[in-house]
Amino acid sequence: MTKISKISKPKIDATTVATVWHSMQTICWEMRHLVDRTAQNYLIGQLHDLSVGIWGADGATIAVPVGLPVQFLGTTFAVQDLVKKFEGNIHPGDVFLTNDPYHGGHNCHLPDWGFFRPIFYKGELLFFTLCRGHQMDTGGSFPGGYFPNGYDIHAEGICIPPTKVWDRGRERTDVVDLILNNVRFPDGVRIDLQAMIGATVMCEKRLTALLDAYGKGTVLACVDEMLKRTERAVREEIRKIPDGVYKAEAATDDDGTVLDEQVWVRVEITVKGDEMTLDFSESDGQRKGFINSVYAATYGNAIAAAILYLDPALADYHNQGTMSAIKVVAPSGSVTNCQYPHTVGASPVNVGNQIMESVVEALSKAVPHRAVAAWGKHRGDYVFAVDPRNGERYVRTSFDYDGSGGAAWGFDGYQGSSSFTALGAAHRGNVEEMEVRIPWRMLKYEFVADFTGAGRWRGGPGIHWEAVNEGSAGQMATGSSDGDEVMGCGVVGGLPSPVCRTYLRRDGEDIRVKPHRLVPVHEGDILIKHSSGGGGAGNPAERDPAMVLEDVENELVSVQAARDVYKVVIDARTLQIDQAATAALRSRK
Amino acid sequence: MSRKSKRVCVDVGGTFTDCLVMDETGFLQKFKASTTPSDPSQGFMDAMRKAARFYKLSEKEFIGQIEVLVHGTTLATNTLLTGRGAKTGMLTTKNFRDILEIRRAIKPVNVSLYNMFIPPNRPLIPRCRRLGIDERTLYTGEITTPLDERETAGAVGALKDQGVESIAVCFLHSYINPANERRAAAICNEVAPDIFVTTSHETLPVWREFERFNTTAVGAYVGPRVARYLTSLEGVLKDSGFTGTFLMMLANGLVQDIRECIHRPVFLLHSGPAAAPSGAIHLGRSLGEEALLSVDMGGTSFDVCMVNRGEVPTTTEHWDCDQRIAIKMVDIASIGAGGGSMAKMDTLGLLRVGPESAGADPGPACYGRGTDATVTDANLLLGYVPADYFLGGEMKVDIEASRRSMRPLAERLEIGESDVAEAIFRTVNANMADKITEVSTKRGHDVRDCVMIAGGGGGPIHAGFIAESLGIRKVVVPPVAALYSAFGMFAMDIGQDYARSYVGRAADIDLDSLNVVYDQLEAEALASFKRHGVSAKKVSLKRSIDMRYVGQFHEVEIDMAGGRLTAKKVEAAVAAFGRKHEELFTFKMPWKPVEILTLRLKATTANAPFALPSVGKGGKDPKAALKRRRTCRFKGRDVDTPVYDGEKVLAGNVIHGPAVIEETTTTVVIPEAFVCSVDKFKNYILTRR
Repeated sequence: MTKISKISKPKIDATTVATVWHSMQTICWEMRHLVDRTAQNYLIGQLHDLSVGIWGADGATIAVPVGLPVQFLGTTFAVQDLVKKFEGNIHPGDVFLTNDPYHGGHNCHLPDWGFFRPIFYKGELLFFTLCRGHQMDTGGSFPGGYFPNGYDIHAEGICIPPTKVWDRGRERTDVVDLILNNVRFPDGVRIDLQAMIGATVMCEKRLTALLDAYGKGTVLACVDEMLKRTERAVREEIRKIPDGVYKAEAATDDDGTVLDEQVWVRVEITVKGDEMTLDFSESDGQRKGFINSVYAATYGNAIAAAILYLDPALADYHNQGTMSAIKVVAPSGSVTNCQYPHTVGASPVNVGNQIMESVVEALSKAVPHRAVAAWGKHRGDYVFAVDPRNGERYVRTSFDYDGSGGAAWGFDGYQGSSSFTALGAAHRGNVEEMEVRIPWRMLKYEFVADFTGAGRWRGGPGIHWEAVNEGSAGQMATGSSDGDEVMGCGVVGGLPSPVCRTYLRRDGEDIRVKPHRLVPVHEGDILIKHSSGGGGAGNPAERDPAMVLEDVENELVSVQAARDVYKVVIDARTLQIDQAATAALRSRK
Repeated sequence: MSRKSKRVCVDVGGTFTDCLVMDETGFLQKFKASTTPSDPSQGFMDAMRKAARFYKLSEKEFIGQIEVLVHGTTLATNTLLTGRGAKTGMLTTKNFRDILEIRRAIKPVNVSLYNMFIPPNRPLIPRCRRLGIDERTLYTGEITTPLDERETAGAVGALKDQGVESIAVCFLHSYINPANERRAAAICNEVAPDIFVTTSHETLPVWREFERFNTTAVGAYVGPRVARYLTSLEGVLKDSGFTGTFLMMLANGLVQDIRECIHRPVFLLHSGPAAAPSGAIHLGRSLGEEALLSVDMGGTSFDVCMVNRGEVPTTTEHWDCDQRIAIKMVDIASIGAGGGSMAKMDTLGLLRVGPESAGADPGPACYGRGTDATVTDANLLLGYVPADYFLGGEMKVDIEASRRSMRPLAERLEIGESDVAEAIFRTVNANMADKITEVSTKRGHDVRDCVMIAGGGGGPIHAGFIAESLGIRKVVVPPVAALYSAFGMFAMDIGQDYARSYVGRAADIDLDSLNVVYDQLEAEALASFKRHGVSAKKVSLKRSIDMRYVGQFHEVEIDMAGGRLTAKKVEAAVAAFGRKHEELFTFKMPWKPVEILTLRLKATTANAPFALPSVGKGGKDPKAALKRRRTCRFKGRDVDTPVYDGEKVLAGNVIHGPAVIEETTTTVVIPEAFVCSVDKFKNYILTRR
């Protein structure tokens, strides 16, 4: 896989390699930018629930600088199956669409539609580009695709196996109409299809210009060199990790169908020489509920989590070279490699989150100086109802009610980062924009004190999100939220992220809503979400007292918690550290 | 002589204060003084004195003759980048005090998603100085909770007790109804008249609170320092007899009276560089070129701006490091690539140059204080820059120190020191070329159709090589290359920008109310020009309108016809929107309704005509200007290269590459693939053979 082709190529100087490398990365950023500027779906246009990249015609991952790991790091499998399925029938100007987790689609869940464009140069197929984003609707029993209790995958929405939607530069309108006829809000979805296909057109233009500028031989030689250099550097990094077997496990609160029964992901990581194997064989079996992950999705999340433990200087340069040094094992029928027709709706987050958590926790034991804690759980919900201002149906989706990032060794967790599985690629919206767009009025959106994993480096602060429904009655799916029961891990002595809560306040009474549920929402209901920050890294009693004091001044840590958890004694009135009392407290075992 | 007859542009940069003067003859004269960072007004006045001496006038006489003074300064930018802003507090809507810190969960721009090892966001205003006030306005403009005045006064008092020097007032939905913000600002002034106050509706009266609040916070942070400097400078000038119009160069490429910008200090970011594209446009016009690539390479950064059809491009998507600044700014892309950029090896075994810079201190290794290899060291070793004529001989440099700095890299790469120098040169050129590609391709322009205008001290050294790698056929090095931004201030039209939110669908827009808004904007603009003594006749008004397809999140700015708006004119704008959408994004959607978001007006008055001094006419043969020959390295070969004296070059000379022209403030390097002709203004025009 690391070799794009076997013909001998001219030796390429490092400058040209770097230039081609950066050009391909830049093209990906530009693709996302194009979708930003033109899409109408809040999730992809504003919040970046979107992935773009470039692959070789053989499926080798070449450029993946921006996206959600679960959406695109396992794309190699999809490209390979696509090439096989359409052999002899792939032409310049074609676009293939798929959202299918099964049938050669290798996709994480149905709302994430991926557009593949083959890129030819002088008649020869050289690359594929993919633009995949979360659509505002994908059909199925309820809007949004994050609802529990689907009978099977077909209940979750329209399943589009790899399908040609553009043929030699012309839209196959009947096919597109068939698809759009099976989703809600087809007018909006059509805009987003245009935007995403537009991004692939742009990629083709830019890659062609690059090939014109340097010549095919040089560009392919550069790609080969990129992959080799990355592989060499990644293997060198893995070699630095002590050989051994490292284990960890993580759970989601339940599967949404069998309620209040946790589902476990277990990983056993074997580091041997310059190779690493992430083995999920001990995980629970696939479930009736919608938290099952297909292999490609597991692969994307697992690889991304492992990458966090490599030299951050490599962060911009991961490609197939990285993947050839890391193997992901997940047996068929496992919750980490589910089979048709199992439901998968929640899996990018649950168990996607658990896949990442288990990997970072296991590797924190191997490489403590690069330990990464779990982030606050995704706290998403979908509300679907009617906006009385225009009489139109709407779906509210967002990352706004998530907590914050987890700590990494040496750094407190990033504030406001949403969903570990997006690694910061997904964004939040604005209060003002939400109030204009949908009939909910925000009442509170602020940090909460003492609501994150403590540590020598603590998680980012937890968040209180509260809004009142000024629209019609409707329904709310808490499908992508988690963390009411199971906490996210702290690392190297850091504390886990606290449990979260969701309430509907109706007539003055708080009604608790657990994750993975579908519940009615009434007019005037107030939705309250307490979403914790991430896990901590290192022992909180070793946190620099000056940092604890700063947190107390900023009302992120209470004086009580400073004393009890961080072992720093602070005078509540003067906000001064009592050095002697702190030293005494910290020396006590 | 008290007649006001001079126009002066002063650009205070990090190292030099550049001053251009146009006198009654219409010719530009150049003056340069060292910047004095502790009090930049000193360097400013040094430049004034140099100019006065040139005109054989006293300082007072010279300053008294200034009719219009346009000033650009890096003060706001540097205050922000070096973290030396004011102790700032914030009054904001209760229960929303963390907007500035939660942000939109954006990791620092350009940090890879695969990198967790980044410091958390440190907002300019820490949480303990962000105070929530009971008040609430809805998106409709309705105030559901009036401002709690007692709580406001108490909060201002508390901030004052903490030693806060500056307060940002940031309330939700203030863009639609600023009443609560206005009242809170008034209370700030009553309770603590010494504290600098700035509000979000004055800074950026458009929706999306994170962007608006953060932009306001940046303004509040840099405000006191900028205000002190401007007030002091104004005083010094007044004492020296200045009675002309004093205009500040703004981030948006326009200008504003000094008094009016003290309360909106965020607009002084990039003041200076924002003028450069106007200089490029002026040069392009005189050369008959429309598609221009303006590049400016200084000591630490490389600024690039794509200019098409005489339009200075602007953006509202700017970040400065970790700070989102959402005002409209001239769309200049910057990367850390300059003379001081340092070279090092990364873990992939690739050579990287920048973004870290050795700055002025320690500076490149050849300055004798640092040991890291920089771009300037490479240029010295390659023979492009003369060791004995560095800054016209004003500065001594040590070429052996440059050579030593290459050694560690030479050992790792197993190549010679000159090879390392060339690798650094090529790498930094590739970085700059990459940035250019991003800027040009993002707008769908083929960079090969552009003419590159090269400014800054380093631009003329590298431009030819960058152009060669990008397939650009023509590079122009103007005689004012080293005073590029100051020149831009001369060349630009004096203008101001106005905007108002106006939301509605294009198909059923209320034309009357649309006309009312444009009329108001125009009246406002004309009144402002009138205050500066410019009559309505001389002001040209250009309308534009932000549109998008219903449902989209981002707008595209479209030109709007002048005069009374009719349904036909609106339809034409909608059609233009579709075309522009396709040009930018590869598609349009004529079946979708279009909505209007913001009405804009740009009011300008043309710049005063001016001319650059011309040089004498000579023949094609430049041999009279030949200064010496020197070994320079081109594409891995040592080449005996002719070096010309820039002071002796004549119009009509044709210089074939490889060649070097030594000017006092810069060096022009002509690669082998280019021929350089000299025009009568001493523009060096490099054309690909």
